[in-house]
Amino acid sequence: MQENYLAKWLNNELTEDELAIFKKSKEYETYRKIVEASDSLAGPDFDMANAQKRLDNKRQQKKGKVIALNPLKRYLRIAAAIALIFGASFFYYTNTLDETVTTQFAERANIILPDASKVLLNADSQVTYSEKSWNHKRNITLKGEAFFKVSKGERFTVTTDGGTVTVLGTQFNVENRKGFFEVSCYEGLVSVQFGQNEKKLPAGQALMVVDGQLRTFETIRRNKPSWLTGESNFKSIPLKFVLDEFQRIFNIEVSTKNLDLSQLFTGSFSNTDKELALQSISVPTGMKFKLKGNKVLFYAEEP
Amino acid sequence: MVKIQALKIGDKNHVCEEEVYAALFDTHSKTIFNYIYYKFGNEEKAYDVVQEAFIKLWENCSKVSPDKAKSYVYTVSNNLYLNVIKAEKVRLKHRQEALNLEYETPEFVMEQREFKDKLEKALQNLPENQRTTFLLNRIDGKKYVEIAELEGVSVKAIEKRIHLALKSLREQIDGI
Repeated sequence: MQENYLAKWLNNELTEDELAIFKKSKEYETYRKIVEASDSLAGPDFDMANAQKRLDNKRQQKKGKVIALNPLKRYLRIAAAIALIFGASFFYYTNTLDETVTTQFAERANIILPDASKVLLNADSQVTYSEKSWNHKRNITLKGEAFFKVSKGERFTVTTDGGTVTVLGTQFNVENRKGFFEVSCYEGLVSVQFGQNEKKLPAGQALMVVDGQLRTFETIRRNKPSWLTGESNFKSIPLKFVLDEFQRIFNIEVSTKNLDLSQLFTGSFSNTDKELALQSISVPTGMKFKLKGNKVLFYAEEP
Repeated sequence: MVKIQALKIGDKNHVCEEEVYAALFDTHSKTIFNYIYYKFGNEEKAYDVVQEAFIKLWENCSKVSPDKAKSYVYTVSNNLYLNVIKAEKVRLKHRQEALNLEYETPEFVMEQREFKDKLEKALQNLPENQRTTFLLNRIDGKKYVEIAELEGVSVKAIEKRIHLALKSLREQIDGI
């Protein structure tokens, strides 16, 4: 018999000869009964829904990591007192500070606010808000681009350099880059203030201010911004903003030569496939590009 | 109360993605639960281990790729209470038999019950690693390869444990 033949037998790995010999042995009958009886055994009941709920709760509370205390017990009391003082002052200090979340190039962040409103932050963007006073004042400051899913409740305000957006409970996208301010409303009603103007924006509408000019109102056919599904989308946007977006998404330095950066671009590019994105930008505009490491040069061929 | 995750663009299939994470929980939580239970016979601790293993996975979600996630939670579970918990009695349930007991003679039914009692007692007396291995194979239908992964040993070692477990169960039941 081969080594561990009982395990092999259980796994149907014995040869026919071995199996025949094994079946003739006087122990075989008990082995067969053990396997038969053990097959009717069942493990403990596992309440997966409950476990899932406990896990979710824990994940919600979890902010810091637990560090094991060292075994020098007599110092613990002193250490605890000091820790308490520092802890209390740190707690007070951080609680009165505003929270800031920043993303770098080629990064995004998912933020859940205290009232369960969601913010999805696109690359090279920043939001700042006060966690402590959130429940009576929902104010958030944005640099860059973010998509908001606002829980119903008090007035929710997004402040940017380009303008202010106010809502009660809805889904909308705000993009504010240098010289460029765009708000798209996907659900509910948002109110947008920029300069001296105020516009009400119902679901399915978007507005854009480029270099101080209110440019277009266009309807949105999708139910969320294209960058959330891995695509950047443009409709009659000056080329320089398109290239800026490319740089933010892929963290690739963009330079240009002999190009008219104010020409308008309509189209989209993939946020996952660099090569495809380069093609999508260069082919319709008739320009060429050279990609070298972390740099790309867009240029027009001399006529 | 505020949860912030950093995501890498283009990583749709990422453990930090809520759906990927939830799917991993669905697939592996029960195995981990049973595994810990067979070891220590304590359901409360088994729930704790499941929870802590998945919290760890969540905290490190940006560093663990989805195909490594399974062995990650297995390893974490294995290390968590390794020497801490005192083993208690492992109680197993009997699945409702599909066969019609009324067609069997009372003697036969009795004999079966007695055999099961003996088996349970014998299982109780097995070393922890043999019992865990045997039960994962018989109750959870885990292949030797997978148990080896859970326990962090070779497949050969698992075969040895199964072999010894069966041998020891038979010796106890036959009263040798």
